[in-house]
Amino acid sequence: MTKTPEDRRLELLQGTLDMLILRTLQWGPRHGHGIGLAIRQQSDDLLKVETGSLYPALHRLVRRGWLAAEWGVSEANQRAKFYQLTAKGKAQLLREQDRWSQLVRAIGLVMKPPAGREEKA
Amino acid sequence: MKPPKVDELDEEIRAHLALAIQERIDRGEDPKAARLAAIKEFGNVLLTRESIQRVWRPGWFDAAEAFARDLRFAFRSLLRAKGLTLTVVVTLALGIGANAAIFSVVRTVLLRPLVNRDPDRLIYVRQTAFGIGADNLTFSMPEIRDLEASSKSIRTFGDFSTVDFTLVGSGGQPRLVTAGVVNGSFFEVMGLRPVLGRLLNGADDGREAPHVAVLTYPFWTSAFHGDPAVIGRSIQLGPAPATVVGVLEPCVPYPAETQLFANVVTSPHHLGATMKNERWHRMTELFGRLAPGATLEEARAELTAAHAGMMREHPENYAVKAHVGLRVTTLRDQLASPARPVLLLLLAAAAIVFVIACSNVANLILGRSMRREAELAVRAALGAGRAALRRTLLAESLVLCTAGAALGLALAWPLASVAGRYAARFSVRALEARVDGSVLGLGIVLALVAAVLLAFVPRLPSSERSGGPGLAVGSLRMTPGTKRRLRLFATTQIACSFVLLAGAGMLLATLNALQTANTGYDMRQVLAVDVPPPATGFPGKDLMDFFSEATRRIGALPGVDGVASGMIVPWRDRNPGLKIQFGFEGYQPAAGEEDPTCEFRPISPRFFAVLGVPILAGRDFADTDTEQVAIVSRSLAQRVFPNGDALNRHLWFRSLPQRRRIIGVVADVDDENVVQEPTMTVYAPYRQIGLAGRLFVRAAGDPYALVPAVTRTIRRLSADQAIERASTLEDVRAQVLAPERLNAFVFSAFGGIALLIAVVGVAGVLAFSVSARTREFGVRLAVGATPAQIQTQVLKEGLAIVAVGITAGAALGYGLARLASTALGPLHLPGVLPAFIAAGILIAAALLASIVPAARASRVDVLQALHSE
Repeated sequence: MTKTPEDRRLELLQGTLDMLILRTLQWGPRHGHGIGLAIRQQSDDLLKVETGSLYPALHRLVRRGWLAAEWGVSEANQRAKFYQLTAKGKAQLLREQDRWSQLVRAIGLVMKPPAGREEKA
Repeated sequence: MKPPKVDELDEEIRAHLALAIQERIDRGEDPKAARLAAIKEFGNVLLTRESIQRVWRPGWFDAAEAFARDLRFAFRSLLRAKGLTLTVVVTLALGIGANAAIFSVVRTVLLRPLVNRDPDRLIYVRQTAFGIGADNLTFSMPEIRDLEASSKSIRTFGDFSTVDFTLVGSGGQPRLVTAGVVNGSFFEVMGLRPVLGRLLNGADDGREAPHVAVLTYPFWTSAFHGDPAVIGRSIQLGPAPATVVGVLEPCVPYPAETQLFANVVTSPHHLGATMKNERWHRMTELFGRLAPGATLEEARAELTAAHAGMMREHPENYAVKAHVGLRVTTLRDQLASPARPVLLLLLAAAAIVFVIACSNVANLILGRSMRREAELAVRAALGAGRAALRRTLLAESLVLCTAGAALGLALAWPLASVAGRYAARFSVRALEARVDGSVLGLGIVLALVAAVLLAFVPRLPSSERSGGPGLAVGSLRMTPGTKRRLRLFATTQIACSFVLLAGAGMLLATLNALQTANTGYDMRQVLAVDVPPPATGFPGKDLMDFFSEATRRIGALPGVDGVASGMIVPWRDRNPGLKIQFGFEGYQPAAGEEDPTCEFRPISPRFFAVLGVPILAGRDFADTDTEQVAIVSRSLAQRVFPNGDALNRHLWFRSLPQRRRIIGVVADVDDENVVQEPTMTVYAPYRQIGLAGRLFVRAAGDPYALVPAVTRTIRRLSADQAIERASTLEDVRAQVLAPERLNAFVFSAFGGIALLIAVVGVAGVLAFSVSARTREFGVRLAVGATPAQIQTQVLKEGLAIVAVGITAGAALGYGLARLASTALGPLHLPGVLPAFIAAGILIAAALLASIVPAARASRVDVLQALHSE
């Protein structure tokens, strides 16, 4: 399929979104709304996940076998679909964390080079 | 993992909204405002639901969706190029349609199974005598008895011979039918079943058996309207009644088409001593079924040995010069073999048409993608990968080729029925030809292959190659490579068209030679009528009296200039029994030399006058001749009596030893070949021989106007007399030449199609070449070239393509003719004139095709051309 620039941006976001979702589920199952809320709160309201992206991402992760979904009842006694990490999902989370910290380090090196190296170059 | 249902997705979304509203209320918002805010925050519910569903789609779905988009795009852009689309579709349709039609006939004749049980074990035995040009001598009963006695590998034999009967009792007028007279094991050997009643068996053999008949399926449906009550009915078959006992299943009529089968007792001739005891009396075909465990090779070896032994024992019946031999094949091979060269020829013609069609389509598509290079470059620049571009091209050629294939398959039905009727002259199985499912498959495969190949013809914009199509260049550029390719395709088309046109021309010239050849007969005014003597109806004198009386009464009818009778309607009747050996006064055979043979023709007086054959010396027969007399053809007179003293000399036939005085010499007429050859013919008065069966009526006006009066006159003499096939000699010749005419027609059709496609091809190449060189022409006009010079140059380019094409075609055609003559035996080519005419037609057509592009080139607007880049 022809890839438009929007698609590419979405893809970039998707990669991180998947990782963020896996991370929020690290401490136990949550429903979709709870996941969105958790990301927003934990990012100090900097990241706001649109439901239009969140739910397709959740289903994609289920399809890949990283998440399992189950209908349940919330603390406020409301019916909701709860997502939780599978064993495969936990392994994936570890991989993503590794890759993420490498990426951060690499980008950090490029963006804030140590003072001495800049002079050499 | 199963994708979630729509209901479940809706529920999940509803649950999300409920949670979000609750959360806002918990934070202290007004419930109504909270609800609105939550819904607003969620955004488009349907879109979200669709994105979730898309996650669950299988991988191929996306690719298919993209391809569907490509197809829609292809449709739209092809609709904008209607002329090209139409040309490509029609061209491909012709290529595929012709191929499919020929394929279905080939399949029917060569590949489809026979209905006969276990056809691999069904053997056809044939006696040949190539020394006297007979590829099927048939067998006599003594020969069959010898072969049967010494064969172990063939368990049962079936024999078959034909007899004409006058049939009364099928409703309507008495009619002449051909019956297959067979022995009781014939149907078991053939492995055929009845659809109604029973077939013949061993109990039907012998002199004492009741007379019984089995109807063929087509005769049952046509003459008896498929009436099941026909079983048990009595029909008058020649001299005696017979009972219909069954109807045979539809099957290939071989070795001869008959209306019914009858047991031996129905034919008095078959019971006679000649049939039973004379080794030379050959009229029977022989089939056999292999015994369990026996092979065709064993049967062949065994029968050949038995046949050789038989020839040693009876040398008087097997002239050394005749080279009598034996052929043993399966019936299937026997059916397929005569049609093979013809079908291969047709297949080759269809293949040539397909090559022309493909190269033309390739040309058109190449030109089109050339025009699209700018567009493709834009799409590449916008991020479309090579695969995506290729897919766009593939979608377009798929749409084109599928449309072409669909139209081609629609054409296949009429074409197949034409080709089937054509091939039926050579192999009766072709009549069963129907376009079947596998042809559909072949058509689709051909279209798909063509589509994929064509998608790879155009170049794609490439970043690695400088000078390739660029964004900056809005107009056409033609690279030398492209030009070569276009020319190559156009030249191929011309070459192939030339081969087809020249071939069609050769066939037409041959046909014309056959149709206009002088036959020696008066063709227009003579009506020939079959008045078949019932198989044993009037014996001897009664038959002669019947014919004399009929001749006398018809001669008295108004509008009749003369009537005569004979045995043979020229070209229509074949009677190998009338080729006999003779001796003559002063003839001293050398030791071991065979007596000379002649064509023997019993005729009535006035025969020569009625048919317009000049009497060169002596006189005609007269009704008053009581002496044994004969008239001979000029060739025979010169050969046998070289001193020119044939008159009043004597000759005699080996089977009729009375000496006959020669009373006349007539011009040669050849009633076997449409193109006359010298004939050795001896005529004798029919009353002295006792044979007749054909009437010749010379009409003053329209011969066909006499048919009712002639029929009435004969019926008044004998109410049960069959009267058949009234036709002028000219029409008889036309009927005999029907396969040649059809042959010429089919090839002319192929040639015409090829010519049409090739003209479109040349015009397309030149048009493209002109539009790619607008700038060049503009510059040349600007520096002083005249429009006429430009025109001439474009015309020259067209002629160059044609000249090269014709040269290549001539070489190809010569090669094919050589190949064909080594494979099929010598060809009779009617000179090179048709080839020159074909070349002329092609050159004229190409000039015509060049005129429009040439005119366009000379009308190039100088300023516009120079500004265009």
